[in-house]
Order: sequence, then structure tokens, then C-alpha cells
Amino acid sequence: MTRMHRRPAMRARTGGHIDRDTTLTFRFDGRELTGHPGDTLASALLAHGVRIVGRSFKYHRPRGIYTAGPEEPNALAGIGTGARRTPNTKMTAAELYQGMVAESQNRWPSLRFDALAVNSALARFLPAGFYYKTFMWPASFWEKVYEPAIRRAAGLGRAATEPDPDHYEAAHAHCDVLVVGAGAAGLAAARAAGESGARVILAEQDFLLGGGLLADPVHEGWRREMTAALEALGNVVRMPRTTVFGYYEQNMLGAIERVADHLPEPPPHTARQRYWTIRAREVVLATGADERLIAFPGNDRPGVMLAGAARAYANRFGVLAGRRAVLFTNNDAAYATVEALAAAGADRVTVVDTRPLGPAAAAARTRGVEVLPGHEVVGAHGGRGLYSVEARARGGDGGFQIDADLLCVSGGYNPAIHLASQSRTPLAWDSGIAAFVPGTAAGQRSAGAARGRFGIAAAARDGMEAGGAAAAAAGFARRPAFELPAGGADPDLTVAPFWEVTARGKSFVDLQHDVTTADIRLAHREGYEHIEHAKRYTTHGMATDQGKTGGLVGAAVLAEARGLPVEAVGMPTFRPYVTPITWGAVAGHHIRREFAPIRRTQLHDWHVRRGAEFLEAGLWLRPAFYPRPGEAPWDAILREGAAVRRSVGICDVSTLGKIDLQGADAAFFLDRLYMNTFSTLAVGRARYGLMLREDGMVFDDGTTTRLADDHFFITTTTANAGRVMEHMEFHAQTVWPELDVQFTSVTDQWAAMSVAGPNARRTLAKVVAGLDLDNAAFPFMGVADATLAGCPVRVFRISFSGELAFEVATPAGYAAIVWEAILEAGREFAIEPYGVEALGLLRIEKGHVAGAELNGQTTAADVGLERMAKKKGDFVGKALAGRPGLTDPARPRLVGVRAVAPDQQIRPGAHLLEAGSDRSLGWLASVTKSVEPGGWIGLALLSGGAARHGQRLQASFPLHGESVEVEICSPHFVDPENARVRA
Amino acid sequence: MHLITCPWCGPRDEAEFAYRGDATVARPAADAGIDAFYDYVYTRANPRGWHTEWWHHAAGCHQFVKVVRHTLTHAIAATGKPTDTLPVPAE
Amino acid sequence: MSAPESRPAPEPRSPLAGHLKPGRHGAAGSRPLVLREVPATIVELAARRGRAAELAAAVRGALALDLPPPGRGAAAAGATALWIQPDTWLVVAPRGTEGALAAHLKGVAGAAGSVVDQSHGKTLLHLAGADARAALGKGCRIDLDPAAFGPGRAAVTQMAQVGCVLYQHDDVPSFSLIVPSSYAIPFFDWLCHSAAEFGYEVP
Ligand SMILES: [Zn+2]
Repeated sequence: MTRMHRRPAMRARTGGHIDRDTTLTFRFDGRELTGHPGDTLASALLAHGVRIVGRSFKYHRPRGIYTAGPEEPNALAGIGTGARRTPNTKMTAAELYQGMVAESQNRWPSLRFDALAVNSALARFLPAGFYYKTFMWPASFWEKVYEPAIRRAAGLGRAATEPDPDHYEAAHAHCDVLVVGAGAAGLAAARAAGESGARVILAEQDFLLGGGLLADPVHEGWRREMTAALEALGNVVRMPRTTVFGYYEQNMLGAIERVADHLPEPPPHTARQRYWTIRAREVVLATGADERLIAFPGNDRPGVMLAGAARAYANRFGVLAGRRAVLFTNNDAAYATVEALAAAGADRVTVVDTRPLGPAAAAARTRGVEVLPGHEVVGAHGGRGLYSVEARARGGDGGFQIDADLLCVSGGYNPAIHLASQSRTPLAWDSGIAAFVPGTAAGQRSAGAARGRFGIAAAARDGMEAGGAAAAAAGFARRPAFELPAGGADPDLTVAPFWEVTARGKSFVDLQHDVTTADIRLAHREGYEHIEHAKRYTTHGMATDQGKTGGLVGAAVLAEARGLPVEAVGMPTFRPYVTPITWGAVAGHHIRREFAPIRRTQLHDWHVRRGAEFLEAGLWLRPAFYPRPGEAPWDAILREGAAVRRSVGICDVSTLGKIDLQGADAAFFLDRLYMNTFSTLAVGRARYGLMLREDGMVFDDGTTTRLADDHFFITTTTANAGRVMEHMEFHAQTVWPELDVQFTSVTDQWAAMSVAGPNARRTLAKVVAGLDLDNAAFPFMGVADATLAGCPVRVFRISFSGELAFEVATPAGYAAIVWEAILEAGREFAIEPYGVEALGLLRIEKGHVAGAELNGQTTAADVGLERMAKKKGDFVGKALAGRPGLTDPARPRLVGVRAVAPDQQIRPGAHLLEAGSDRSLGWLASVTKSVEPGGWIGLALLSGGAARHGQRLQASFPLHGESVEVEICSPHFVDPENARVRA
Repeated sequence: MHLITCPWCGPRDEAEFAYRGDATVARPAADAGIDAFYDYVYTRANPRGWHTEWWHHAAGCHQFVKVVRHTLTHAIAATGKPTDTLPVPAE
Repeated sequence: MSAPESRPAPEPRSPLAGHLKPGRHGAAGSRPLVLREVPATIVELAARRGRAAELAAAVRGALALDLPPPGRGAAAAGATALWIQPDTWLVVAPRGTEGALAAHLKGVAGAAGSVVDQSHGKTLLHLAGADARAALGKGCRIDLDPAAFGPGRAAVTQMAQVGCVLYQHDDVPSFSLIVPSSYAIPFFDWLCHSAAEFGYEVP
């Protein structure tokens, strides 16, 4: 910033919103250049006379800067280096900063020479729909030949490959009035609403407030006064660098605030971008208008630019986009560009006006400007920079050349209706401006150029009224008005529609996707007549600029082909995002380990210290197993399982869902919810319960304890805890609202640990106080309160493993104390902590069903639990469980499976077949290596069920090319008489 | 994103709710038979237009909220408690 | 159920134990937020069907606490009640003897109310400072502007995908945030992240 630099050739000495006292250096394609604060990358490049800034998407044609804003189709750059590199950034909206490193895109190896420009010569073989048609056959070529070739040739920029070092965040805002866009209309709307007392947010995508005012020196005083007035209003939040990209239901709008994109890197603790959701009572869309192009051969040459953009570069940035300019227009407003270029030092401007001589043309002539009324441009020449424009009398033959390095084009202005369209506000055709304009909708109005009120004074007046009306609708009385801009009469903005010059050559309607008028006509010829079909066939308007400059032109070409007026053809529906946004901003805080909140039990730190391998169960992290140094996973799992079978183990089961249920009707409610009966359960006893869905399938299972007549403690599976709670809420609130029941989740209140194995009682008896654990005093399915290591505990004599077992629950803050005390007590029995894998092993050996069997497609009878169903009384699922399809005796039933060769692995999901048959008789749901009986075993659902015990079948797993011989057996591999759990 | 007025909590973002389907069907009497339960579980009108639905205020007060919503425009005409009878606009 | 023996339980462990790092964090600003965990007793109190008025009267008589209507909290000496569901409140008090407040409330409510101790299942955080609204606004979708929210207001909502009971105490503003204990760490991490821009202090 300290070095002296010569003034770039195309930079005016004065004028504009740039700080010439400060020089910024930056690199573009390796070349060091300079600019000033207030520049965009595009304006700084133009100041240095840079013409080509990219190659086009399909034909790799050289392209220059086309606009001065986010509607830009051509000038895309990768900005930043390494992990901070952002592709597809619009140079026309990228705020210049010291040290910026930018690279052009879509060219190989360089901008000036591009090997793939041969596509342009092959253009007649690359029509619209080319990819669909050509690469259909043979299918086997797709992956190896077509796709790699297309990927090399196609696509816009490339993404960074390293993780983004910056952070992004979400934020939520609320306001009475949201004003989108801070041009003349938006400034006036925000001030009018703000002075009424409403809470106002003014969002502007640019880094300066002013919109079109920034290119209009006449009204600069008013702009400054307005921005100062807004700054003084405490109830108006101004949000520059904020793009509102989407309009959602009930006036929620999405916006991206580029907090630090204009800095080399974000300041400490600051997000790079913020993803805002803004909920507004009233919305004023002051989004301005986009100038539209005219389709003519060569309308994409570097040096062709929209007229308003050339004016903005001259007036806002003090940059002359060309010295010998041609203006091609069908409207008077574009004549302002003539003045701007002249003031910035252009040698000459020639106007090609499609209309007969009118007042603006006549006035220009009196100032010495050459005007060609009734003419049109039929060609632009200069692949690496425009040198000549070919014009002719409209519809005439031949043509003549005009020496030019800048061709400014104006086909009129389209109100920027993207957000209004997203909100499904009705659009109407305004023939005066030949464009669609939005109507109003509940809680929303458009103002200024966004609804066709062009010109600074008209837009400001419209904005003031809209802002006042929005505030009034939000309940804030209107206040006296402020001064509207004075001086400078608004030009006449009516246009004679003019879409296309018919002449030989490529006339583009979508510069970013290289869609020509010929492509649109081809779509029509091939039957893609509807605008939505033509859009998809040609990809017109589907690029990152959403067809802002050429969308309506393409629609007009289609309309002409169909013989319809353009308003009858219409525009395709606009969808978010109005401009592209960064994925990082969408994800915000929720990336990597914060992708979703991780639930931890109170014993998590202990599991970590013990070296547990974790697995995700819903949002929980649970220990899978605790490997010893060098120990293989299955060795650890079998060791843990064996400890339970032979002595004692302890498992953290805190993640099980727990629900406290109270109320006079609590027992009755449980009878309705569960297939079995709970009203007969004695206080201090637990019972296994099976819950069906209303469609008759098994939903969930667990044990429920009666703590008092009107008080139950329910457990659910870990996976279904939330769903069971909601199921209960649905029935209590909407089906049986007359019941007196209160229930709440106590999952996090209670930690729970299962102490299982033949030495479980001996272990616990050492540390449990206030409870006799003897079998007679505390039998199977008993429940009682006690203390353990001074902590209150509730002990449940329940078992999932088939061994003598107790579940000890304690208020979660005591979990570590209780756990450590049990471990200490069990030391003499070599107690082992066991994880979810051993838990699964033990329950499979015992034949207990779990999620793999209760998969939403199985009935109680399928899993052998049909006898639990109560005979009398209603319960959820009772009626439909009786459907013929669900009671069909041929349905697959639960069986046990063991590999005939015990070491041969079987897999869940394998189909069970008779040898030599390919008809599936059922499938393996769960498998494990076992402690008892040893070797690979599993639980399966098999047609024929128990009748097949003793049969040998094939467990076929075609994905692995496996077929394993298995023997069908009882699912109860361990202690089928249930003697151990009752010991 | 919808803004749904919970009768208890006031206007809340859709993100706090879980959609829970048709609120115009009622659970049949226990002895109504398989066909009645079949209709209750499976048969839906799927209207284009106003529809009375359940939205569970899962991240709020845990109440089931009745919502009259337009399935085409996503406009919301009324919300209420399970016991409320909500007027459904003609069109 | 049999009564457990009565001797004072040990000090329970916070789910944030080892996770709270006392000191100054984040940006260096002149008005840091203050973020801390508050050891608390939290009891869920629900009226039995049709007995809300009876329950309210009993609680008013015993605790001088008016059970608040939806969207509000009510503070009395020693306890604050927050509406969380129809006819259901969280009663929040400084941590005391294990189970004592629940037992007391059960005695007060009698057959008019259901009482569930949630002291271990919920974790109470306190956030105070001029930028507290902006920090919470990075996850909270409720309008916390003084025009829409204020001292005495309570809300059950979610922030950063975690269910949260929010209560505003005063105009500082300071907020109580009650989250399920199994989510305390991810919630706390998000809150620290959101507060870092303004700077925050953990006492
Ligand atoms: Zn609610």
C-alpha cells in the first residue's frame, strides 16, 4: 500500500465513490495490479484496461465484464488462496481488498489461449440437449469415457480442497418492516418506516448504500442525507453486504451477510459469513431493476457491456470502460450512459437507436453525439477485445462498421422480481416497460424500480409511500414525510420492445450457460414449448446468474417461435437462491463434530478414560466395547460377554428412554398403549411391555414399573425414546383427552447401569444399603429404592442378558460415584465393563428381540410374543393386528440360526434359502459371534418358523458372493428355562 | 418456513414443530372393526387446498396443535387446540 | 416403595464438570458477557386433570409463588416457577438437599399435582450482558427484542438443535437457560462460540 503506482490508463482523475488516496495491490492471474478502496475487482481490472476475464461455459469463448453487479454472467473468479479460495465469485460484486488474489476460471491453460475453445468451432455439434442425446448410448461408455471428458470440459470454478479454516454462523432477526435493497426506493422506504417507530431492517447486497444513486452524481447530496438520517434512527438496522436470497412462508426471508469477505481473513472470533433468517411483519421489496441485453451476433464479445454498467463504472468507480463507445438502445434512459462516458473522458460515443428519432436522441445530437435512429447492431468483432461494431438500418441488408472498443447495450429494464416471484406474488405484464411487474401480497409490497417505477425521483416517492404503508400495516402511525430528491428530471422509461436482431451468427440469451437464440428455437422445434421445458432443455436461466440479464429475452424468442406474445409465454418460476451462496454459511456452526448435538451420558468421561470405542446410537455416543491394548474387537467383545456369563459385568444403559407417568388414569392409559396389561401390576414390580403402532406392527418394548397406584416408571428403547413420548402425547392429547395423566421424560434425570452375571448379587450386596437383595426378599422383576455409596438408587431386578441381573438407576449426577463403587465391589469377581456390542451378543444368545427384529415390519406373533396380547379391552394396534395379512401363519417367524461350521461368518441381511433354490424363505436380522454356544449365531425371521428347527438352509449373501450352511434352531441359545434370571 | 401460532406459546417457527398428518380423522371405537381402523390409519383425502392438520410443538410445549393450512399456497388460516373446532375457509 | 436410608448424598457432578473454563474468553471487548452454570434444584410440577386452580392455591399458600400463565415465569423468595406446558411448570431453586424440594412440593400438591424431580436431568446456565440477545439470536428463533420479550417472560424453544427453557430476569439483560443434561456440552459449546464475538467471562 505504500509503494507509488501510476494511475491506471482508464481511471479518471476525479469522481466516484473510491478513495484515491489509498492504493490497494492485488493479483489477477498472477499479475500484480492496483486499485482503491471502493473498487470492485471488476472496476479495478477495467481501470487497467483488462478486457478478457473468463471463458464461457460450453464454447470457451473469451468473455469480458458485462455488468456492474451481482447479475454478472461472465466475470467469475476464484478469490483467495489455499483453503480460503472461493470459486465462482462475481468480480463485479467482489469488494477489493489489499492483497486479494484472484484467478479467472474455465480456461485451460490460460485466458488468452484456451485449448477447449475448439468447442466453439464444433458448435454445430454441441446444440442444446447435446448431452442428453449424444451420451445416452452405449451406457457402458458413460462412466469411463463420457463423464471424465465432460467433467474436464464443463463446470465452472473449482472448489478448495482443504477444509475451510473460517467459521460461519446462523443468526435470526425479527422486525416490523424489512426493506430489501437500499437504492432510492429502499432508502426512502426504510426512512419512512423508521420514522414511524417501526423496527426496520434495511438489507443491501452492496457494500455501499445507494443502489442506482451511486452512479448518479446529481443526487449524491440526497443519498448522503438519507444514509445519515437512517444512521441516526436507533430503530433502523442497516445491513450492507447482505444479500436476501430467498422468500419463504409467512414473511421469512433468508439472507447472507458477508461479514468478512472483504478482508483477507476474518478478524478473530468473527464469522466470515452469517446466514440470517429474518422474520418480518411487513416486507418492502426495493430490489431495483436489471437491465436486459439484446440478442445479436457477437453480443458476448469482450467489450460488450450493459449500458447501465458502463455508466456505473464511469460515475461510481471513475473508470472508463472504453474510449470509443457505441450505445445500442431501445430506450431513452440509456442515454444517461452517453453523458457519463463523455464526462469520464471517452473520445466518442455513437448511439444506435432502434427507434425513430425521439427527444432523447435529438437532445444528444444537439450535444454533438452521433445518433443513428432506426438502426440496429448486427455484429461485434474482436475475439480478444472489441474493435468494431457492425450496424445497419433496421431490417436492412449489409451494414457498416463503427470503430469501437466498447459496445453498451440496453434492451430496457426488468424489475428484479425474483423475491416477489418466490413469494408467489402475482406478476402482471406492463406493456409500457415490456416487463413483468409484481403486485402486492399479504404483508408484502414492492417499491421503486422493482415494480417499474423507474427514475430516482419516482422510485424515491414510491419507496416513501411503501415504507409508510408497510409501517402502518404493522401498526405504526405514519409520520410527516421528508424531502424527496430534487433536480434531474426522471427520463421517460417506456420502451419499444426489442429483443433480437435477426442476423447470421451466435446471438446469446444466456451468456453464462452459452444459450443462443438458435438453442431456444431448437427447443421449440423439438417440442419443448413450455417455458419450463425450454428452460430445462437449453439450461437457459439455470446458471448462477439466474438469467437476470437475458431471461426475458429468451422467453421472447420462444414466444416469437410459438407465435404468442411474450407475456403469454411468461417466465419460469424463480426459486432460491437469487444469487449463489456458500455452503459453509448454510451449515453454520453445525459442521464436523457439531453437525448434530452429541448426547453424552454422565459416565462418558469414564468410558473415554477406559479406552472405549464409541458408536452412535441416535444422537448418543455409547461405548461399543473396551479393547485392551492390542486386543482385536471381537476378542474384546467376547471377553466382555464371557465375563457376564461366567462372573459379572457392568454396562452403562443410561441412554434407555425413561418416562415418568402419573395420574389417576395412568394404569388405564398404559393398558391402552401397550398390548399387554399394566393395571394388574403390583406396586414395586416391573413388567415387560410391548407397544404396537395403530397399524398392528410392533413399535417398541421395555419394562415398566409401578411406583405407586397412580405412578409408573416406563422405559423405552434408546432409539425410540422420542417417538414413544410423542406417541403418548398424541393419544393423551387428541384421542383420550379425558384421561388424567401427566408424563414427562426423565431420561436425563436417571443414569442407569446394568450389573449382570452370576456374581451380580454378591457384587451389589457389598455396596447396596437399605435393600435385601436375597432372592426371596427381592425376586425377579422386583423394584426397590436403596442407597449405594451414599447416593440414592433405584434397583430393578430385570435382565436383558439372560443372567441374574440388576439395573441400578441413580440421579445422573451420582452416576460416576455409583459406577465406581460397583466396580470396586466387583473387583474380587473380576468385574468387566461391557459395551453395546457385548450387550447385543448377550441378548442374541438369550433370544431377546431388539431393533433389528422390531424393524417396523414385524408383528408380535412374528417375534413370538403374541401370547402377551390381552384378551379384553382396547389397545393401540389391536384392530389392525388382526388383519388377515398380519395373521397369516406363513409369515416369517423368529428362529435361531447357527453356522454349521462355527467359525464361518454369517451376516445380517442374508437370505435363507433351501439348497439349490433361489426362493427366499426369510432373512437374518441379527448375528454375533457367541460365548454360548460358541461360533456364529443369529436371529432370523423365517417362513415356517419353529417347524423348521433342525433344518439346514443356506444363508445367502450375494453382495459378498457368500452362501453359508446354517442350522435352524430355537432362538433361546441360553437358559431357555429362565432359571438363571430367577436364581 | 411456516410461522405457526401455537395456542399456548404464540407464533413459533416451523423448525420447532413436527408435522403429524391429517387432523380430520378420528380414532374409531374399539369395536368398530378392521375396515374402520384401516380408514383411520390409511385413507386420506390429500386435498389441494385447505387442510386441517396436526403439528406437534415438539421443541416447545409438546402439544399437538391443529392447523388449517392451504396445501398449495401454504397460507395458514387458523390454529387451535385439539379440542377446538376450527373454521375452514371456503377456498 | 421402601424408603431409602436418610443421610446426605454426596455432591452431584455437573455434566459440564471439566468443561467450564473460568476466565476471560473470546474477543477483547469492554463489555463481556458473563456465562456460568448455576447449581440448582429443578422440579417439574403438573396439575392433575381439572385441578390446576387447587394446585395453584396450594403452591401460593406454601411458597408464596404464583404459578404463571403460558409464556411467563414468576419469582418468589427462594424459587422461580416457569410455565413449560399447559398446567405444567418447572420450579427452580438453589441447589439444596437431594430430593427435598420435590418431596416438599409433593406434600404441598397432594392429589392435585404430579411432581417429578428433574434436578439432574436439566442443567441451568446463566447468561448476562448487553449483547446477550445477539449471542442467543445465533440459535434462538424467538424474538427477544424488548418490544416482544422482557423480564418475567419464559419460553420453551430450541437453540442450536437443543431444546431449551429460556427465562429473562431483568433488563441487563440476563437469561436463565435450562437444557437437558445430556445435551449440556454441545449446548454450552455453541453458546461459547456464539458469545466469542462479544467476549465472555466464565466466573
Ligand atoms: Zn407450544
